[in-house]
Amino acid sequence: MHRTLHALTGMSLALALATGVGACGSSSTSSGGSGPVTVLMGTAPESLDPGLGATTQSYEATWITYTGLLTYAHATGEAGTKLIPGLAEGLPTVSKDGKTYTFTLRKGLVYSNGVPVKASDFAYTVKRTIKLGWGNKELLTENIAGGEAFDKGKASTVSGIQTNNATGKITIKLVAPYGPFVNVLAFPALGLVPTGTPIKSLTNSPPPGVGPYEITSVVPNKSFVLTRNPHFSSSTIPGVPTGHVNVDVKIVSNNQSEAEQVLGNTADVFDYNDTIPPTLLAQVESQAKGRYAKEPTVSGEYFFLNTKEAPFNNPLAREAVTYAIDRRALQRLASGMLDPGCFFLPVGMPGHPSGKCPYGEPNSETSAANFAKAKELIQQAGLKGAPVTVWGETRSPHKEFVDYYTSLLNEIGFKATEKIVADAQYYATIGNLSNKAQTGWVSFSQDFPNPIDFYQLLNAHSILPTENHNPSQVNDPHIQSELESLAPVSSSQLDTILSRWQALDEYTAQKAYMLVFGYDEAPKFFSNRVDFGAAVFHPVYGNDWSTLQLK
Amino acid sequence: MKVVLRNRVALAFGVLLAAIVALCLLAPVYAKDIAHTGPNQNHITDTVSVGGKQVDVVSPTGVPIGPTWKGRFLLGADSNGRDVAVRLLYGGRNSLEIGAIATAITLLLAIVLGTLAGYARGVTDGVLSRLFDLVWAYPAVLLGVALGVALAVGGINLGIFTLHSGSLLLPAFVIGVVVFPYVAKPLRAHTLSLREREFVDAARMMGYPPPFAGVRIMVSEILPNLSSTIVVFAPLIIANAILLEAALSYLGAGVQAPNPSWGTMIADGTRLMPGAIHLVVVPGLMLVLTVLSVNVLADTLRDALDPKASLRGRL
Repeated sequence: MHRTLHALTGMSLALALATGVGACGSSSTSSGGSGPVTVLMGTAPESLDPGLGATTQSYEATWITYTGLLTYAHATGEAGTKLIPGLAEGLPTVSKDGKTYTFTLRKGLVYSNGVPVKASDFAYTVKRTIKLGWGNKELLTENIAGGEAFDKGKASTVSGIQTNNATGKITIKLVAPYGPFVNVLAFPALGLVPTGTPIKSLTNSPPPGVGPYEITSVVPNKSFVLTRNPHFSSSTIPGVPTGHVNVDVKIVSNNQSEAEQVLGNTADVFDYNDTIPPTLLAQVESQAKGRYAKEPTVSGEYFFLNTKEAPFNNPLAREAVTYAIDRRALQRLASGMLDPGCFFLPVGMPGHPSGKCPYGEPNSETSAANFAKAKELIQQAGLKGAPVTVWGETRSPHKEFVDYYTSLLNEIGFKATEKIVADAQYYATIGNLSNKAQTGWVSFSQDFPNPIDFYQLLNAHSILPTENHNPSQVNDPHIQSELESLAPVSSSQLDTILSRWQALDEYTAQKAYMLVFGYDEAPKFFSNRVDFGAAVFHPVYGNDWSTLQLK
Repeated sequence: MKVVLRNRVALAFGVLLAAIVALCLLAPVYAKDIAHTGPNQNHITDTVSVGGKQVDVVSPTGVPIGPTWKGRFLLGADSNGRDVAVRLLYGGRNSLEIGAIATAITLLLAIVLGTLAGYARGVTDGVLSRLFDLVWAYPAVLLGVALGVALAVGGINLGIFTLHSGSLLLPAFVIGVVVFPYVAKPLRAHTLSLREREFVDAARMMGYPPPFAGVRIMVSEILPNLSSTIVVFAPLIIANAILLEAALSYLGAGVQAPNPSWGTMIADGTRLMPGAIHLVVVPGLMLVLTVLSVNVLADTLRDALDPKASLRGRL
């Protein structure tokens, strides 16, 4: 489960107007004729080194530059969640005990620099990713035999990985069966890099990989280019497109400017992680017909409720806010690009419950009775006037979500204030347990199409002193035992355990461990130069740049 | 006062400033009896009657209502469905309050340290002057942002001196620390000159009892002679403090949300430019008018106290 990270600048009317004028400006043009497409990103990728990047922005670039043994089909909707062989000849052979995965590497593969790919590069890639401290490295260290010992410096290799360069055979032994391990192997972080690639951040000069593109011309926090890989053809990996045009990526932190550039056709692709400003939305809808659509995503938004800190260590306090929230208000703050919901597993994720929300329907107005009940619960818990600090980040509409939520907390009886942190530092700040964050906004989106990905945020093992991935600090024995029981089931057999995931998610909603308020819809918004219909909106990685082509 | 009354421009701006201050002070009355809402109260899913029709305060796609020119939502709503007029007045209170407190902190620090440096000379002067230089060396906004952001998370906790991160005193403190060298340095220079004057020598010869002889000379002899300088500087500092507060708040390092200030209102409004331009123009205009009024009054005061214009305060 990765969390989306979105990346301001005396003051007088003159400055205010200047800001507006700046927002109306445009950057370099890409209109007319052939040539690269210009993709705008609201937030710079955390890193362009595949061994480090763990945000949606990083993955958007690295999944088409660093292919792993497995990858996802380049398709829209549910079809895009299907795993296909990447650098491996086929899907893995899994031992009966579910602990050993065997692959054979495709023959004749070369990196973007022309160097042949070897089976041993896989072992090196895993070691490099662990040593670099990739954000999800626990998926490797906790699952692959010898991964933890290597991470702690007790071993020089990951003992669970055996490779044979002559035959291309790769064997991976797990500590215990882990059903979604095939999805782990499809992470761009496990996209192979050559043995000997320096074990240091190469974000400004990303290493060679195997994929339709290579990353070049990186200007940190400003721009980078995805250039077509001359060593990659349509026969290299069936199902992975070769790409049509080079992709110039520019970081534009102002949503307004971003939307205006795409609307005015001076840039080609709007960042699907961003929100089109409400004042421009109607214009976009009317002027950009045929090149704008709302795409459902398997992601959502919630306010975490820290169960280890007052007042939300009291179940009554958690229930009270859940009763009082008006999700329709938050939907409006998101320019309508939010589907109100109460369950942790979003619509589109296997296991999303079909039952009713336990504390009121998310799509209807908060009833006076529910609001009164919320106040009564606060009173009953003796929490009237209890101080609450709400954490949030500056980016719109996330700050507006927090403004609404703070106002709500004050209305039901708390004494709430806000702490707004710069986007780049937000997750690190709330993820530091010494800050004792009581409650705040979190966005969540899928890393892979398996509910266990989301439940990492509720797994007691994810509670860490820094980089804590479980901001509500949930440590519930029922959830833990269910996770242990459900984890070994393969992603391909999810259908057999859907009812158990649904029951678990209903239990979580009932416990009000977090205040889920909706599931995101994303804008697929292009210039009129780009073939809108041909471009894939991928359920895991968003806009698939390898399918972008000019009309 | 007579000078102000004789100068029609100064008089006009004086009246304007008084009106702004009065309106801001009356914010709670306006909120309670006219707008019927608080500054941080959301009305996102509410409707309001405009021209006999019920209109969404915030549309389903997030566009807030513009000015209704009525008691409720007189100047429209912001993206959170909050009444802009109410926030404007409360924001003005906050901005003016911070400006006044920051000025007090600036003057306190500048008078104490500037006078001490100028009067004591030697090592004391050396250390304090380097301190002034150190703070002066950083651009005010940059240093303010750095301090504001650093303190926004944890506030200040020095045992007996504690400031909560959401406190309005925090931006005032930051501004005071950032601005004081701009006043302390001229005061030090003026003190250096004053301490050589005959009346100070006379005071020394009268023999104030130790150990506080120096302090008593500074308070009873030097300080009164610095008063005109201080009086001229004070309004200039207020104007700059209001401006700096707005800048810091715009950048997220000043007044913390959801509390309004003109700077935070401008920052919030930029998201909805140009469709809801009033969200930026209205607080921006209030800011310009307030700072302009204070500056015109400061100039008039300076001309009255220093007709030869030997002192030109520049911050």
